Amino acid sequence: MTRYVMVADLNRCVGCQTCTASCKHTNATPPGVQWRKVLDVEMGEYPNVERLFMPVGCQHCSDPPCMEVCPSTATGQRKDGIVTIDYDICIGCSYCAVACPYQARYKVEEPRFAYSSGPTETEAIRFDEGRIGVAQKCTFCADRVDAGLAKGLTPGVDPDATPACANACIANALTFGDLEDPDSNVSKLLTDNTWFRMHEDLGTDPGFYYLWEEK
Amino acid sequence: MTSGETKPSHPCDPGKEWKTNMSTTHKVSTYCYQCVNGPDMLTVEVTDGVATTVAPNFEAKGYHPADGKVCVKPYGLVQKIYNPNRLLKPMKRTNPKKGRHEDPGWVEITWDEALDTIAAKLNAIRATSLVDEQGYPRVAFTTGGAATPYFYMGTFASFLAAWGPVDQSLGAGGTVKCYHTEHVYGELWHRAFTVCPDTPRCEYIVSFGNNIDASGGVTSVRRHADARARGIRRIQIEPHLSVTGASASEWIPIRPKTDPAFLYAMLHVLLHERPLAELDVPFLKNRTGSPYLVGPNGFFLRDPESRKPLVWDATSGRALPFDTPGLDPALVGSFSVGGIEVGADNKSWTHEAVEVTTAFEFARKLVAMHTPEWAAPICDVPAETIRRVATEFLQHARIGETIEFEGRTLPFRPVAVMLGKGVNNGWGAYECVWARTMLMVLVGGLEVPGGLLGSTVHISGMDFDRMGSVAPHPDGFLDYPFNPTDKEHWAAQPQVRHGHTTLIPIIGGGLTSQLMGSTVLSWMRLQGRAADSWGKPKPPDVWFVYRCNPNISFSETDRMGETMATFPFTVAFSYTQDETNHFADLVLPEAIDLESTQLIRIGGTHYFEQFWDTQGWVLRQPVVPPRGEAKDFTWIATELAQRTGLLEAYNAMINFGAAGLPLKTEAYDFSLDVTRAHSVDETWNAICRAASADVTEGAASDGLAYFKEKGFRVKPFPKMNWFLYPRMEDLGLRFELPYQERILRIGQELSARLHEQGVTWWDRQLHEYEPLPTWKDLNRLWADAYERAYGIKASDYPFWLLTARSMQYAWGGNVSLQMIREVAANVAGHDGIMINARVADELGIEQGDRIEVRSPIGVTSGRALLRQGVRPDTIVMVGQFGHWKTPYAKDLDMPSLNNLVPMNMDLVDGTGSAVDAVLVNIRKVGRKSA
Amino acid sequence: MTRTKFSRFGTSHQTSWDWRAAGNFICGGAGSSLLAGSVAAAFPEAPDWRVLLAALLLIGAGLVFVWTEIGRTWRAFNVLFHPQTSWMTREAYVAALTGALVAGWAFTGIAPLAHAAGLAALLFLYCQARILKAARGIPAWREPAIVPLIVATGLVEGVSLLVLIATAQEVPSSALLAALTALAVLRFASWLRYRARMDASDMPPVTRRVLDSVSRGMLWVGTVAPLAAAGLTLAVPAIAPLAAVAALVAGAHFKLQLITRAAQVQGYALGNKLRRGHPLTMKPGAAEATAR
Repeated sequence: MTRYVMVADLNRCVGCQTCTASCKHTNATPPGVQWRKVLDVEMGEYPNVERLFMPVGCQHCSDPPCMEVCPSTATGQRKDGIVTIDYDICIGCSYCAVACPYQARYKVEEPRFAYSSGPTETEAIRFDEGRIGVAQKCTFCADRVDAGLAKGLTPGVDPDATPACANACIANALTFGDLEDPDSNVSKLLTDNTWFRMHEDLGTDPGFYYLWEEK
Repeated sequence: MTSGETKPSHPCDPGKEWKTNMSTTHKVSTYCYQCVNGPDMLTVEVTDGVATTVAPNFEAKGYHPADGKVCVKPYGLVQKIYNPNRLLKPMKRTNPKKGRHEDPGWVEITWDEALDTIAAKLNAIRATSLVDEQGYPRVAFTTGGAATPYFYMGTFASFLAAWGPVDQSLGAGGTVKCYHTEHVYGELWHRAFTVCPDTPRCEYIVSFGNNIDASGGVTSVRRHADARARGIRRIQIEPHLSVTGASASEWIPIRPKTDPAFLYAMLHVLLHERPLAELDVPFLKNRTGSPYLVGPNGFFLRDPESRKPLVWDATSGRALPFDTPGLDPALVGSFSVGGIEVGADNKSWTHEAVEVTTAFEFARKLVAMHTPEWAAPICDVPAETIRRVATEFLQHARIGETIEFEGRTLPFRPVAVMLGKGVNNGWGAYECVWARTMLMVLVGGLEVPGGLLGSTVHISGMDFDRMGSVAPHPDGFLDYPFNPTDKEHWAAQPQVRHGHTTLIPIIGGGLTSQLMGSTVLSWMRLQGRAADSWGKPKPPDVWFVYRCNPNISFSETDRMGETMATFPFTVAFSYTQDETNHFADLVLPEAIDLESTQLIRIGGTHYFEQFWDTQGWVLRQPVVPPRGEAKDFTWIATELAQRTGLLEAYNAMINFGAAGLPLKTEAYDFSLDVTRAHSVDETWNAICRAASADVTEGAASDGLAYFKEKGFRVKPFPKMNWFLYPRMEDLGLRFELPYQERILRIGQELSARLHEQGVTWWDRQLHEYEPLPTWKDLNRLWADAYERAYGIKASDYPFWLLTARSMQYAWGGNVSLQMIREVAANVAGHDGIMINARVADELGIEQGDRIEVRSPIGVTSGRALLRQGVRPDTIVMVGQFGHWKTPYAKDLDMPSLNNLVPMNMDLVDGTGSAVDAVLVNIRKVGRKSA
Repeated sequence: MTRTKFSRFGTSHQTSWDWRAAGNFICGGAGSSLLAGSVAAAFPEAPDWRVLLAALLLIGAGLVFVWTEIGRTWRAFNVLFHPQTSWMTREAYVAALTGALVAGWAFTGIAPLAHAAGLAALLFLYCQARILKAARGIPAWREPAIVPLIVATGLVEGVSLLVLIATAQEVPSSALLAALTALAVLRFASWLRYRARMDASDMPPVTRRVLDSVSRGMLWVGTVAPLAAAGLTLAVPAIAPLAAVAALVAGAHFKLQLITRAAQVQGYALGNKLRRGHPLTMKPGAAEATAR
């Protein structure tokens, strides 16, 4: 069995948004759509304040509320735990978006480009009509994972089999890998560090772990 | 090379075939040097001739300290290519009237016309003289980004070198966006133009606003993240909880501009509250000037014969030259000693027997009254906090411990004190830099594993060869190329409009010296409001502006525009229309980052935290062909050289090494035929071949094609060169601390020279030439300066307005990129003005309300961002905005601190720098919805 | 900024569903319970076909609202693909079933078909309630007490409509008015329960403010006014419609607010259960053992 998860180390993350940008490049998301992004979080009251940066996005839950509510079966789940959307089936009802407790889903109704004058060359060749009017979100770069596996590579270890955000992270704060493999990077990190998952009480069993050492 | 001929399965539905496309995709390797922390390596994916995706260069893993990764900025480069607002044809101004509200009347012209126009101007200059009647170069060149544009302008530097005198002192930064005082004193003391902790081994960092996670680049972020993972403690002392403060172990919100008081109190704790034996006594005795005896006139007491400084030898009970073998120099005590003192202009005093003490005792005395209790109300930090930080610093220093490094036993001192830009410039910076380095010296933590290190040099040597810059001074310290201040050699006549060689000895006179620090003086002189005895300089006949926008990045930007409008002929190499080229006569589109060719150095040690075990070369190459009529800078330089009759000199400069390294040495010869013009590829092929030879001891001679395919090529770099201490030990040298005898002497000489010339307008700056910097009340200093200059009441300006680094924007020239805006908006401060939430509440300001911020010289406004992580007396504007011409950026509604910061000679310190901070008041001017 | 380390932050109003979705809950709720109510009122006969048609039109109008909101209008029938777990699919099937039963009755005149349609309509109403409960990203919706509240509100709307229809024809029966008052009280009780549950949760401040305003409407317009009006009807029969309109308006207002203003998203939060050890090898209860 395989379950791909992401581990985000909050003690490492500096909120630089390199992952956000690399995700936008790799997945050609339009302006305003950030499958991966990093939140700038401030807690407490002056002078007892803490600030931290928290990468968010689809948590690839093992019990995904989005999949449960999806009326069209566009949202699915692979055997390796990655939660998927079939753009050809999705009706764009956004039910998944309100069911997701992680604000991970987007729907873009009209083609949207960086500049009002129309698409740049990059946007033009990467524009995908199939993504208009349907739900979209982080795929854990499933295409990269699959292409890498086909070449015998290890997701989370070999860049060509690893999500773009984890590849790009300059602080090594994002680690991707197989939770079921006790020797994987993610397993080692979770074994050796304290961690939490977001909104666990909602019963979603998210596949996104946050390493955190409280100050 | 990959192609889309296979049919991978659909990522979301394995049973389904992915849309087949017959497109071809390949990856191109290149570098990013958009900020000083580069170069870092990246790859760009190109599909059907269109650049699409930036990614790290994973081939660099194992070489590059951050595994070949790049930060967020280069991800903007793809959009930078295709930005519809880009200028793609040369343009000339048709409206001779220049002004912010004048339409330049741009019309497109050919490159031929553009180059002929420039050449005509340049040839006219050559026909008369290269310098004007006042002695200033008639050609000026301005760039920004801490000179990183040099890594984008191909061989243009070779053209400038062939040209002759060029004024590069019309800088793009009004206040200083660098670590200016650290640059000069760091380099003087420990060859540390830039300073960083030995992060991989450090255990405790006291950081005064050092925003390393935002301004230290990829390698710094990585090293600090790794350090946190192994439990490093970092105490972040700053008025605004920065991006870097976020990851600190503790935030201490200090009142702005009071950092010297905190640092002096830390010194007090170590020097007066802890026993001497707890400090690194052997280090102080043998590796510093602490035991040097100081005479009654403030100069070292010297041996009359050898003129070497004396120390008190506890063993023999007498004063002996510092380098006498077998000494046990005393650190404390007073002694009756005979000797000579050598002061300014070789004035000397002979003492038969005089009561003297050590430099160390002077330092102790300096901080005797600066107790934590004294500092507490100044800094608005409890005394016990200051005392605790000082004590923890000492405890973590592990004094006495050693570490085996590369087979050598070295001291191990895993502590560091870091300073941010806001405390590293202008008045008070000397105190901070001195106190910080003193703290390191007291625990023996300078240039040893775990401690505080320099990473590069610019004034005393070549930036890629820090160890090569080490040279001994007769007094036992590092030699240093001060600009001369003696009567015979002093540069009485400024060579550029700033006059750095005349006024600022410590900045040196090398290639990069006039690029350093604040250039307030140059611009104020051009405005006729500074250095009046020198007269008002004429603007340059030809002003080249490249990859910068001084009319945004300078202080008093409105006034800057008026000054630029007086320049007779400005050539701007420009990406889009902007606030500076609005005043230009010609605007020329150059092939940008991913469209042009250049080979530069990588590896070794350089800023900020690039510590490699290899050193070599990396290529920037066109990922896609240049858009429109944008031209490679090497082509532009070659064309200008041809049209100005400088081709031979220009080629000779390239051969000499002005494009990176010499093309001819004893080991190889790839030199260009100087008599003819060479294409871009021919030129860089020769340089690549020389680089191949350089890294292989002459064995290889692969050219451009090799680098295009491989991206980079390196040779081993000894890790021992990460630390200066072993070299100092080998040469028996000492760090020049605590006592700045040379600074004292130079200051007296400079004072004499200037006064001989009748110059009194630099007197305030001359006060800084103290052997030990006395503490100043900087809040008072600012208030007084404002009250004097602007006839205001300082109490009417109760807030400090500070700025903070935006990693997403800094130095990127990327304000017109939508994607950068989009991702930067995720980081607080990119959407308005940060203000303490409680204070905002008291002022009736709600989140998103429009507030007006006013300094004595300017006003701006923006949305209020209510935050907890900012002091009640402080507001913060991130980055540098305030655009009114640059497409896209002008619609961001982002305020800028720059136009509020006064150019004021009273706020320029002795090293010529001023700081990005200003006293302001605020008021609400509109509701969120308005 | 967040008040405590573990409270939620980054809550903003959901932007996925707008007034059109609210329209589905308003029209669908009113239509389905009108259908059910009319069947009940006429039992064992079949109700007036015009009432059934009106009810179906209301349900249909609600679905048209939703149809205009989906991104891929022409794939609307894909909504039927996931009856296993999706209450939206189930709603669609039940809507179709309801329509089919009514049509069957219309063509055959077999009254039990109409009766079955009434039951199906109730199921439709229940589906709508479950749709909201399943939206786990919206604290104001996922609260389980939303289900009886939505059902009760729908029933009040249906009966209110019956009262109005009855008024147009004659004076509404006292039984109908009694049903209306009873249901209004039931709805208010459901509301109080929902509010209490929401108050006990970590709801976003904006949601709280919206619910406060809905509370006032529910009490005075949705409950007191109908009760008072129904009471007065004994003396002044002409004011019966006032009771119905007030009950109807309060319900519609509640649903509109629930969808368009109270629907703050879950937001983000740090997890307050810090653990150490591999998640798959942890013993049950280990979480609590290491939680701070």
